[in-house]
Amino acid sequence: MSRWLIMGLGLLLEFSLLVRGVQARLTRRYYFFYLYVTSVIFFTAAMMLANWTGPSIYGRWYWPLQLATLVAGYGILLEILNHVLAPYPGAERFARFSGMAAFGAIVSFALLAPLLTPGWSSGSVIEFERDLRSVQAVFICCLLTVIFYYGIGMGRNMKGMIMGYGLYILTSLISLAVRAYAGRSFDQIWDVIQPLSFDISLIMWLIALWSYCPNPVPDHMIHLEEDYGALVAKTRSVMGAIRAYIGKAARA
Amino acid sequence: MISLIFFLSVGMVLFSSLFVLARRHARPEGSSTALVEARQALKTLQAGLLPQDLVNRVFAEQDWNYVRSETPRSVHALFIDERKAIVLLWLAQVGKQIRSLQRFHRGAARHYAQLNPRVEVELALSFAALTSACKALQILVYVAGPFVAPRMVAVVANAAARACKISEQSLGFLDAVRLSGLRGQSRDAATL
Repeated sequence: MSRWLIMGLGLLLEFSLLVRGVQARLTRRYYFFYLYVTSVIFFTAAMMLANWTGPSIYGRWYWPLQLATLVAGYGILLEILNHVLAPYPGAERFARFSGMAAFGAIVSFALLAPLLTPGWSSGSVIEFERDLRSVQAVFICCLLTVIFYYGIGMGRNMKGMIMGYGLYILTSLISLAVRAYAGRSFDQIWDVIQPLSFDISLIMWLIALWSYCPNPVPDHMIHLEEDYGALVAKTRSVMGAIRAYIGKAARA
Repeated sequence: MISLIFFLSVGMVLFSSLFVLARRHARPEGSSTALVEARQALKTLQAGLLPQDLVNRVFAEQDWNYVRSETPRSVHALFIDERKAIVLLWLAQVGKQIRSLQRFHRGAARHYAQLNPRVEVELALSFAALTSACKALQILVYVAGPFVAPRMVAVVANAAARACKISEQSLGFLDAVRLSGLRGQSRDAATL
């Protein structure tokens, strides 16, 4: 019962988010994000309807729809990549590279772990969703590492989008991992945690995306009259000199 | 169990990243302010921290020899404590200026479409090693005292001066006229 109450509240929040997005003209700016929100509205409404008509329909359609929204969730990551890193081609390249590397690492791990670890099981849908959530989690971590490292500023919209989605991925990942380990005994808690964490994310998004708040624009007043190779060479030589001096100092 | 630990670890890393994001106040890296700071870092290293006379004076062992021979024991400890504080402050400042130069590199590199991720990782690790070495020196001085390596200061100052010279070339495009213009801008930004 509590699960359906939480999902009902979620549906209300999803509609509010979409309506506010249209009012504030954010749907045109963040179309991947609002596409995701629309798919989640469809999913939530369909699940509530299925539960009302018959549990067998609900059971049959839960996972396909859940996986469809999970895939749509990658659109949010694309949105973040496009909006936050677009003015910084170097940082964007780094983020794409690290994202691909993380994706490769996770896929390799998922393929190798069952072969190397006897107790490993990765057959069920829950485990499949857990693996996909972990890819998203690692991708967000890589993205944030690049953002922190290059000191890239973010507006309220993007920060809220990352925080909300990150929080949902985090609770999903942990609850799916525990569910895969503990089995059906965890279902009662899982049934509440999963939709509740999504409601919290929706509240965060509603606050963060109430109105348009652009990302800080990088200062383009200074045009560096050198290419990347020259910059790296200069930085390297500075470091080489400092390293030499610290090395000698340590030996002195 | 291994899979549970693995996925919980991934969750912990994500939680830490989100926590940092929630508490973060982004500074305008690579902006005119950062470039002025990078230039200022060089100036501070060259003019404020590394002049031979100043460094020699701060780390002079003659002072210690004099204090040791002419004053009671209670003064020795006081003198050592004060010198140690100065040396630690000096090393902290050198580390800070190195980090400022690193910030300049990051601020500039992020705009280059042809950025090489492998090179960037390599540079990040090298910078981390450098700042760690600075920290290690600080610990050494903290534990063993300010006169632990008598020749250290001269070598440090000379090599740092060389590094500054090379770094100055990479900031060469910031000539005096443009720099003064940027200072004005950063002052305006600070006022806002």
